[in-house]
Amino acid sequence: MKFSLAHKALALAATLTLASCGGGGSGKATYPINVKVQNVLYPGLVLSTNGMDVPVTPPAKAGDDVTFKFPNEVEYGQVYNVVPKGGDLSSSPVKYGTQPLHQTCLPNTNYPDSLPHTATAGQLATIQVNYVCALNSYPLAGTVKGLTGTGLQLANGSTASVTVVPATDSTTSKPTGADTTFSLGKVYWNQTYGVTILAQPAGQTCSVTAGGDNGKGAGTMQDTNTTSSLTDSTGVTNIVVTCVNNAG
Amino acid sequence: MKSSILRAGVVALACALGLSACGGGSGDLTLTGYVYNVTKDGLVLQNNGGDDTAVTSPYTAFQFGSRLSNDDSFNITVKSVPSNVANVSDCVVANGKARANYYTIGQISVTCKIRQRALKVTVANLTTSGLVIVNGADRHDVTAGTTTVQMAGVNEDGPYGVTVLTQPTGQTCTVGGGGNGKGSGTMGATEDTTVTVTCA
Repeated sequence: MKFSLAHKALALAATLTLASCGGGGSGKATYPINVKVQNVLYPGLVLSTNGMDVPVTPPAKAGDDVTFKFPNEVEYGQVYNVVPKGGDLSSSPVKYGTQPLHQTCLPNTNYPDSLPHTATAGQLATIQVNYVCALNSYPLAGTVKGLTGTGLQLANGSTASVTVVPATDSTTSKPTGADTTFSLGKVYWNQTYGVTILAQPAGQTCSVTAGGDNGKGAGTMQDTNTTSSLTDSTGVTNIVVTCVNNAG
Repeated sequence: MKSSILRAGVVALACALGLSACGGGSGDLTLTGYVYNVTKDGLVLQNNGGDDTAVTSPYTAFQFGSRLSNDDSFNITVKSVPSNVANVSDCVVANGKARANYYTIGQISVTCKIRQRALKVTVANLTTSGLVIVNGADRHDVTAGTTTVQMAGVNEDGPYGVTVLTQPTGQTCTVGGGGNGKGSGTMGATEDTTVTVTCA
């Protein structure tokens, strides 16, 4: 009891002393929020925390880091949460907020840059938030029509390949020739793609009959994301491969 | 407090006297990691010069059979590589040498460099401009009169498929050659593969 009383008195004295110093404001320690953004190549990113918005301009030399401090410091005990403006990285699905063109920037998860983008000021000696940006990539997919033979392999150049299995009847296990979907992974923004038949199925000949920019399975990937959510990133899904039975 | 110091001392002493008793094989730390750019059988890894571990399909990770105890030394090396990797030194182990603890055993990876083979396209009868050919993400604008286009290298045993992205003005070009006669195939172990583009 005695000790705790003494403690309170000391605290009071400290408060009085501080106030008499003047200009100390509330007397709480404040912390600048330091930010580093890696690999931002295109304009548009806005990072926000505690009511402050900072647009992030790509560096003059591509690949250089962009560093800045938020204009106001946060007080000891205050929570900061640095996210792309309007974003919510803890929601499901994630809201990505105001991102740059063609890229998505997220908190860096690689040691030693993997510092929290949200925490309470004072938990760490200094506040450092690190973001890293990556080019967006979108699915490349389509449909195979009339496939009954096994062995069909499709490729997107040397980037990806996939074996397509014919649809089968659930009771007889015989191929039905029904439409089968395929996926050739993802293609980065502004990269070209070209779907080709790598191997023909047994007893059939397949060809790419529709889809892509040129209607023959080739094109250049454009952005299909929206500003708030990459889950809407449909990519190119209209590639059509049509298979016919070989003569005889 | 006293007893724990004593116990630690006794254990350390016991270890010093008979290291093998404390060493690998009986611990609870599993030595694992990811592998990158491996497409076929043949990659064999070793820990401390033994415990051979083959990386098998789907070629994404490895796990050594013997378990480690805390503070055991591990040193992962490459014993042999798949046939489409030129040298043992082309498969590089990252963070493969350390003393075992929950952090160090989660940081290991092996990345291989697959041998690249040349992919060449011969172009016939191209008299106008505008032709664009692609092998997936590898894009080439082809000007009138061009007879040869050197495409980016392709992984040995990897697929390729050359297609026309944009036809030239007033002409139609058709892709032939390659493994399947239509500009696609699997890159073999020979140095050159030639695909043809014929315009009319």
